[in-house]
Amino acid sequence: MHIRVVFAGRNYDRTQAVPARLELPDEATLEDALEDLQTLLAGKGIELPQSCLVAVSGVHLGTLRAHQAHPLCDGDELLLLAPVAGG
Amino acid sequence: MLLSDLSGDELARYARQIGPGALSAQGQTRLKHAAALVSRAGGMGGPAALALVMAGIGRLVFAHGGNLDSPDLNRQVLGSEEGLGKPRVVCFSETLRAMNRFVEIEAIDHEPDDDEALALARRVQVVLSCAPTFAERLRLNRAAVEAGVPLIDAAQWGMTGTLIVVDPGRTACLQCLYPVVPEFEEMFPVVGAISMAVGSLAALEAIKILAGSGTPNFGRLLLIDGFQGRWSQIELRRDPDCRCCGARKPRQ
Ligand SMILES: [Zn+2]
Repeated sequence: MHIRVVFAGRNYDRTQAVPARLELPDEATLEDALEDLQTLLAGKGIELPQSCLVAVSGVHLGTLRAHQAHPLCDGDELLLLAPVAGG
Repeated sequence: MLLSDLSGDELARYARQIGPGALSAQGQTRLKHAAALVSRAGGMGGPAALALVMAGIGRLVFAHGGNLDSPDLNRQVLGSEEGLGKPRVVCFSETLRAMNRFVEIEAIDHEPDDDEALALARRVQVVLSCAPTFAERLRLNRAAVEAGVPLIDAAQWGMTGTLIVVDPGRTACLQCLYPVVPEFEEMFPVVGAISMAVGSLAALEAIKILAGSGTPNFGRLLLIDGFQGRWSQIELRRDPDCRCCGARKPRQ
């Protein structure tokens, strides 16, 4: 299956390194996608903030540090949002 | 609460926002009898306060410590060259009073600590968190949850803004999202246009909640990613074990 990956929030330099699409085996889960993504980014010397919010197709599942298990479907959108503050 | 609570001058002032798809006359009256806390008077707090005052909120409690500096003027809609070096919230409050004589403005020239934030939250019907740090946001969140009043959290970075509307005890609070305080960068970049957009939207949510008009965006995170040209909404998950709101019952 293929899922879309969106990175938003702080650290746009990291955005450029995040692939827009991720190819995963059927039956893949959110955990698989995050593992693939983090391995891919680690190869480029990039680490995502553990406080990144994680959402799949508009549903919030936690942070990179702690999130719910979630099965993925072809066409899902994985959103990683590096927390934004700023007053 | 009677419609006659609004004077002829007030009805004339608000005539363009009373009608279908906006506020009812009853809602305008409710807004007049309501109060909001806006902390702080920054890129988003400024436009949020301005929009609330223009809309006719009864009382605005506006908190901010510190002066207006030149780098603030790329996003401080209430600021001006004339105000440089002066206490921000004092100057901005004067501008707000000049904007609408029917609104009471209470200026607080410092950041409230835990106790003061809670005391302030108990004196208002909605809290707008427009603070730069996660520590301050989470403090305002705790105060709003404890006081049982809705919290609107507006945040910005670069050309990106987020808006979260919390109904304590019913929808996810900030602590549910960030059980561990995220890292914060002091000198974040920001474009004033996104500050004003998110601050105005925060005020719109407050107006809907206070006036009882429309549908507040409770339980969702609105993400405006201006840099990449994407707008999205996320349904937020409440953490039943949240140490801030986990034991909280919904508002009546
Ligand atoms: Zn919570």
